[in-house]
Amino acid sequence: EPNTLAEMMECAFDAQNLISISLRKIQSSRTQRGGIKLHKNLLVTYVLRNARQLYMSKTSSQTQRTPPYEDVAVVRERQEYLELTGSFTELADDFYCNFNGVESGTWHCGAHQSSGQPAVVAHQDAPACAMVSPSDPDLMVSEACWSCSDKPSWELIVPNSQANQKTVLDLDTHVVTTVTNGYFHSDCCAQPKQPQGALGVTKKRKMDTSYYIIDPEFYLPDFGAVPCKRMRSDEDLHSDSDQLDSANISNLISVLGSGGLSEFVSWQQTDLEQIFATQTICLRHTLLTGSGWTRAIEAF
Amino acid sequence: MEEENDTRKVNNSFLRDHNYATEADIISTVEFNSTGELLATGDKGGRVVVFQREQESKTQPQRRGEYNVYSTFQSHEPEFDYLKSLEIEEKINKIKWLPQQNAAYFLLSTNDKTVKLWKISERDKRPEGYNLKDEDGRIRDPATITSLRVPVLQPMDLMVEATARRVFSNAHTYHINSISVNSDLQTFISTDDLRVNLWNLEITDRSFSILISSCFPSTGSPSQLFSFLCDKTRRLLVSINFEEPEDPSTRSFFSEIISSISDVKFSHNGRYLMTRDYLTVKVWDLQMENKPLETYQVHDYLRGKLCSLYENDCIFDKFECVWNGSDSVIMTGSYNNFFRMFDRNTKRDVTLEASRENSKPRAILKPRKVCVGGKRRKDEISVDSLDFSKKILHTTWHPHENIIAVAATNNLYIFQDKVN
Repeated sequence: EPNTLAEMMECAFDAQNLISISLRKIQSSRTQRGGIKLHKNLLVTYVLRNARQLYMSKTSSQTQRTPPYEDVAVVRERQEYLELTGSFTELADDFYCNFNGVESGTWHCGAHQSSGQPAVVAHQDAPACAMVSPSDPDLMVSEACWSCSDKPSWELIVPNSQANQKTVLDLDTHVVTTVTNGYFHSDCCAQPKQPQGALGVTKKRKMDTSYYIIDPEFYLPDFGAVPCKRMRSDEDLHSDSDQLDSANISNLISVLGSGGLSEFVSWQQTDLEQIFATQTICLRHTLLTGSGWTRAIEAF
Repeated sequence: MEEENDTRKVNNSFLRDHNYATEADIISTVEFNSTGELLATGDKGGRVVVFQREQESKTQPQRRGEYNVYSTFQSHEPEFDYLKSLEIEEKINKIKWLPQQNAAYFLLSTNDKTVKLWKISERDKRPEGYNLKDEDGRIRDPATITSLRVPVLQPMDLMVEATARRVFSNAHTYHINSISVNSDLQTFISTDDLRVNLWNLEITDRSFSILISSCFPSTGSPSQLFSFLCDKTRRLLVSINFEEPEDPSTRSFFSEIISSISDVKFSHNGRYLMTRDYLTVKVWDLQMENKPLETYQVHDYLRGKLCSLYENDCIFDKFECVWNGSDSVIMTGSYNNFFRMFDRNTKRDVTLEASRENSKPRAILKPRKVCVGGKRRKDEISVDSLDFSKKILHTTWHPHENIIAVAATNNLYIFQDKVN
């Protein structure tokens, strides 16, 4: 059990390293001869999740976070369960359909369905450098899985001003970079005051000390209009049309957005993320309660 | 830091020994037929090479039962799926023999997408004396033919031909990882990561398909396993979920990966199931699903190196495991061209090496040992010196004799029990 700060930092560094390596593996698998190996990539996402959980549990103990939603204990548990036993089919669909330009017909914004599944979550107290932190606030999600149109405005978390590190994968240059964030405060769909490249958005800009939140309409076309308030920033957000390379963004987000990995898209707690996580949950409900298995048996 | 040194060593050895020029020759599967008379190998280049065991001859007793090349053919070619912009590898993932029903031999071979049924038959006679063709095959002018004759079969040099009799394709979205022939000899299954297809050997344009929705390890139970049994009436039974609770004290970043099962084999007597995960082989009683009967450590010294092995992708290597004919010994491969055998009765195990330098023909294999720490003895090899590019993923055991075939990259080693 890492006790000293040095030990905690070392664990966090290892996690950071693993995340970089894992992202690189996912990226390089896309260009591999013979196509994406589904099983291998799924195993990589497990490492990603484990590393991230450790990292977040180490860093969140240093920063103070205000959960945007209250009373999420039950939802949190359900979210964790859904993340951890996410449908293979769903993740597979994503790798397959999105990598090949075929529109995945299964993505739709469904209304919330009650789970009906027993929440079987393995909470394990593991020693040094282990993961699953059940109290990880980043696993929260809004309680109601609302449909696109009826969500009122909301507030975002304003995290501590302490710099945060995260690792991003530039899909254009295939470079994995660790970015130190500056401040962030804005409403949904807004961009920070210095919109400089992150998440492989721009071909020309380097990774910098701030990051960039993408307008969700660019990558959630099936969800319909997402209500959001745009923050008027001092700089012209669309000054460079290259910034919004939506195809690449949607690919990355599609890759990382299923199976509960939407947190990787943006490590700050934003409602954008929550939308995506929530919608992902709706989808997962649909798939988990689907009865393809039963139908197949009846065919005999 | 120590860990960094290990990483460099592991990576360096991996890069140095990888020979891209012969990648097509890398053996990707080995399989004896049901009598052990034939041994088939598939490689990355899509070829199948079949070896046949020589008849024991009195004149050359030292050549008892050696395997020689019997047939070689190109089973699969690289393809391009234009719709998905995907290249389909020609690598042979699996070969399965059909039980012999007549003079010809049949096997199924599969790459990532397509299963093919091959007929391998011998021809030692050819017809001669055609009426309309002359000896060179040129067509004769019918006006010059004055008499008719019946062609006769004349002996010729033995020729072994392989012909593709069926092609089963377009049924798998993901990569086919295994095929299995039903005992009714009429159907077989092909599986990818999400789907099980049940085929009739006669029908190539359709199959029954079952989508698997949740057979991937969840956090609480990394050793989940579904096994499928086909009974005689061809109803598919999803029978068993084998699951061993995870030991929380060994949890790491890579728990899911190392508990992921790379191979499953039923015992010959049908009572046991053997599973291979990254570090262990487990034998399960089919009646007991919650914990294995026996667990054997293949190379536990790798447990401290998982980070490096993840980095160089070795942690994703899928090792196979195999029973001997009497189910008393199990065998599996490791790195550095080592392979391991475990005697289930005596609980003894041995590590052997498949390499040219260490095994001359008819020499006895010397047991190897990996030194895990402390003083290294003269013949031992330290963990840091292991060559991770030399991995034995594919092994097979003769159905009733002590003959094993071991694939070490692009070399096939066949070892036999020494008699007299």
